Amino acid sequence: MADVSKSVFGPEGQLDILSGVNLAVAAGESFAIVGASGSGKTTLLGLLAGLDVPTTGSIRIDGQPLEGMDEEARAAVRRRLVGFVFQSFHLLPALTAEENVMLPLELEGDDNARDKSHAALEAVGLAARRRHYPAQLSGGEQQRVALARAFVHRPRILFADEPTGNLDQHTGEHVGDLLFEMNRQHHTTLILVTHDPRLAARCARQAELREGRLGVPA
Amino acid sequence: MNVARLALRTLRREWHLVELRTLAASLVLAVVALGVVATLSTRIERGILASAAELIGGDVGVSAPAPLPDAMVASARADGLAQTRGAQFRSVAFVGERSQLLDVLATDNAYPLRGTLEVAGADGRGRVAHGPPRGQVFLDHRAMVGLGIRPGQRVQIGGQDLVAAAELVRQPDGGELFALAPRALMNLDDANAAGLLGVGSRARHRLLVSGPPSAVATWRSRIEDNPLPAGADLITPEKMQERMRNAFDRASAFLRLTALLSALLSGVAIALASARYARRKAGEVALLRALGTPRRKIASLLVMTLAALALPAALLGVVIALGLTEGAWYFARQLFDNIPTTLPFAPAFAAAAMGLAVLAGFALPPLVRLAEVPPVAVFRESMQRRLRRFDALYLVPIATAIGLLWLQSDSAKLAGILAASLGGVAAVAALLAALLLVVARRVAPGAHPALRLGLAALARRRGLSLVQATALSLGLCALLLLAVIAPSLLEGWRRELPADTPNWFALNLQEDQRDAFAQQLQRIGASKTNMMPLAVGKLAAVNGTPVDKLPFLEGDDARNAADQQLRLSWAADLPPANEIVEGQWAGASPRQAEVSVDTSWRDRFHLKLGDTLRFEVGEGALDAKVTSVRKVDWTSFRVNFFLMVDPAHAGDIPHTWLTSFYLPRGHGDQLSKLSRDYGNLSLIDVDALLDRVREIVDRVGGAVRWVLGFSLLAGALVLTAALAASAQERRKEAALLRTLGATRTQLRAAAACEFALLGLVAGLTAALGAAGAGFWLGKAVFRLEAFVPPLWPLVGAAALAGFVVMLIGLFGTRRVLRTSPMALLREG
Repeated sequence: MADVSKSVFGPEGQLDILSGVNLAVAAGESFAIVGASGSGKTTLLGLLAGLDVPTTGSIRIDGQPLEGMDEEARAAVRRRLVGFVFQSFHLLPALTAEENVMLPLELEGDDNARDKSHAALEAVGLAARRRHYPAQLSGGEQQRVALARAFVHRPRILFADEPTGNLDQHTGEHVGDLLFEMNRQHHTTLILVTHDPRLAARCARQAELREGRLGVPA
Repeated sequence: MNVARLALRTLRREWHLVELRTLAASLVLAVVALGVVATLSTRIERGILASAAELIGGDVGVSAPAPLPDAMVASARADGLAQTRGAQFRSVAFVGERSQLLDVLATDNAYPLRGTLEVAGADGRGRVAHGPPRGQVFLDHRAMVGLGIRPGQRVQIGGQDLVAAAELVRQPDGGELFALAPRALMNLDDANAAGLLGVGSRARHRLLVSGPPSAVATWRSRIEDNPLPAGADLITPEKMQERMRNAFDRASAFLRLTALLSALLSGVAIALASARYARRKAGEVALLRALGTPRRKIASLLVMTLAALALPAALLGVVIALGLTEGAWYFARQLFDNIPTTLPFAPAFAAAAMGLAVLAGFALPPLVRLAEVPPVAVFRESMQRRLRRFDALYLVPIATAIGLLWLQSDSAKLAGILAASLGGVAAVAALLAALLLVVARRVAPGAHPALRLGLAALARRRGLSLVQATALSLGLCALLLLAVIAPSLLEGWRRELPADTPNWFALNLQEDQRDAFAQQLQRIGASKTNMMPLAVGKLAAVNGTPVDKLPFLEGDDARNAADQQLRLSWAADLPPANEIVEGQWAGASPRQAEVSVDTSWRDRFHLKLGDTLRFEVGEGALDAKVTSVRKVDWTSFRVNFFLMVDPAHAGDIPHTWLTSFYLPRGHGDQLSKLSRDYGNLSLIDVDALLDRVREIVDRVGGAVRWVLGFSLLAGALVLTAALAASAQERRKEAALLRTLGATRTQLRAAAACEFALLGLVAGLTAALGAAGAGFWLGKAVFRLEAFVPPLWPLVGAAALAGFVVMLIGLFGTRRVLRTSPMALLREG
């Protein structure tokens, strides 16, 4: 990410959320972005993942420049290279745990989706609950299903937005352990946005976002 | 991702959602309403044709001034059709010194192919018969009286000595209601042998065929595709029974109106429900986009989910519609003398297609737009809705509604009036609601706390409030049109045929019999007597040009116009059911003779005001200037004339009198005596026809009430969908307000104020719209001149509707008020 800025227009004119952000994360590295609420952490994550486009600057994922790509092309990049874990889990309520995990594989047209999904659920300890719907699972279990979904198609990069933010401390720790363990096993690059200093501390590198600029955490 | 499987699974999981159930129910209702009406209309159409076939004596036929070519007969035979040949002409019958001009139909023994020929023998007993055998003739009562004979006596026609074997009681028509000459039915071979059909005769030859509908249709299209012999005409059931047809046309307009409004109501409910569904799905779509699902795939997932819901719903609608139609036909078929007709399937499926089009038109725009939710919205709910201010997709439901109106109404007027009225209602409702919101902001700070909360709630959800007020107004307007306007339009129609509508006509009354006959009528209890003079003549020239030389009439047209016998009458005042469209009604004693013509005459002879027409009546002639053109309502049960001359100049024309009068049933003996006393008189009973039309009005009334049931259901769906649209927001607000300490009573009062205001705007606009549309429809579509929409019932119904909106709104907030604020906050 080179010299990236993001501005939006609101009732009080232009609002600069990010300005002149430079960031490089090496393959296999784990990187935490911390910062106060409203500092632009989620905006930065969205830009890094190719979910949004910067106002100025350039972003590359796995060496591929995102500028010049339209939304459909960026979607194809995400499909191949990226996995997500969200604060509010974002499981599809109409699908079972297993079907939710199968989703990224099916998007790629993987014929072996069901077996791989089963294995991924086993890895997070939920093989027995694969036929349950999200509404029938606890928060921690839903986030574990989300982890299985995030890793199942072996993404090169995993983006996690406050993955433990909606969980109690104990469950949060358990999910955190699982996240870092799976990350280690799959040699995935992890980019994590969090408020939680303990979770951030588990990453190899951290940066703090303050007034739209990245710096070393205090 | 297997899109179809995911769509089915989504539907299975989401079936409990109110919006999906509303979508399905609306579609079922739209298909049922459209399907029932379309199927019933097609069946009634078939019934009309079948009963009209009974009137012409066959399914279809050809009449021509020369014998019909053998090839035509052979082709009917090849198609497996039954045939009967005949000829119509005028001839004079003699019995001793007495003579009588007759309208003669000469037929073979196969006549009639459809319907019943009923005759009465010397014993007076009626029996069903076919065309008379050689040597016999059937004469009607007038002919028997005119010739002074009874059944069994001999009569001479065209030099042939025949036995008047029976009296004609009833025969499949072929003639007109007011046939001038008495009628006779004789054998075709006798007519040929007598030379009555030879060269130079003015006979009209005819061929009637009957058989299975498909074979008849084949033969008919073959005949229509080839040039007909010179001067030949097709005899079709469509041309018959104009009065019945008019009644059915009006009936079908009523039914289509109700079905259309039900379908449009369903459309509004569908639009509201799908918009809500789209809002609910925004988060999911954002996730799928974030995971890299292409837009196209998301759009097809949404469309397939909708299709998986819609197809079974449409099919269910078809089944219900067919079932209901079969039930309704059980009651309606008596109108067509129980002639069997098959249940047509095509209209119900066409209605299903139309219902699906309504669903697609109203539901797809918000769902297609949903595919454009940006993937980054997965982080922020506020970004899920980036609505454009104007979107061409929003024109799709409008185009669908207009298309539906156009397709269904069969009448540009009906479609136009409904589209304009509903469009006006939507615009006025949105304007009033916007005004209310502006006022709400100004007034709220100083208002009563409950009202303040209610007003604030309306103002906060500005867009939703506008949508709700508009949808409610449209829904209520359609309901008021159906519940108040349609019944009063029907009542107006019924009033056109009051119980004492003249049910008898007497023709051929001589000048010297007039007074005595009128007194006798009065004695037997007849009322509404209306006597009109009647002169029979011919049109000789227009502006000095002989009729057969008029440049715009060619060949047979010219010959027919010159030969055609016409009926003239006169009266001081413009008769009822007549309207002057050009010029002025003749003055009391104009210097020159004046004539008023009917619009069809104006068009046929290219007439304009000031033209002079020469009539030949008896030995004399009359030159009259065209001073007015009239539009005549031929569907009214009154004596009407194409031509009316001014009384001052008509007095000397040789004429007879005809009268219409009302006589209650049960006076058969007195009428028989009247008939005997005035042997030259023709008495015509139109009670049966009147009964038919009255029965149609009643049955249509029943059917309209029935279809109204669907509309009420559709209206309830619209209300539910409109009020549910803001349910989620309302829940969040209520939770917050209760957390901050608001009491249930306060919240209830605030909700009551909010809904009462919405109901007020909707009720007011709907009442205005319904009154306007009703007045316009009554005049332009249903031709009820004096129709005034009932004001107080409308106001009452609108107030009631507003109150119901408030009650339903309050009922909807019940759960919110009963649940603990904590639970509501957890629900989000």
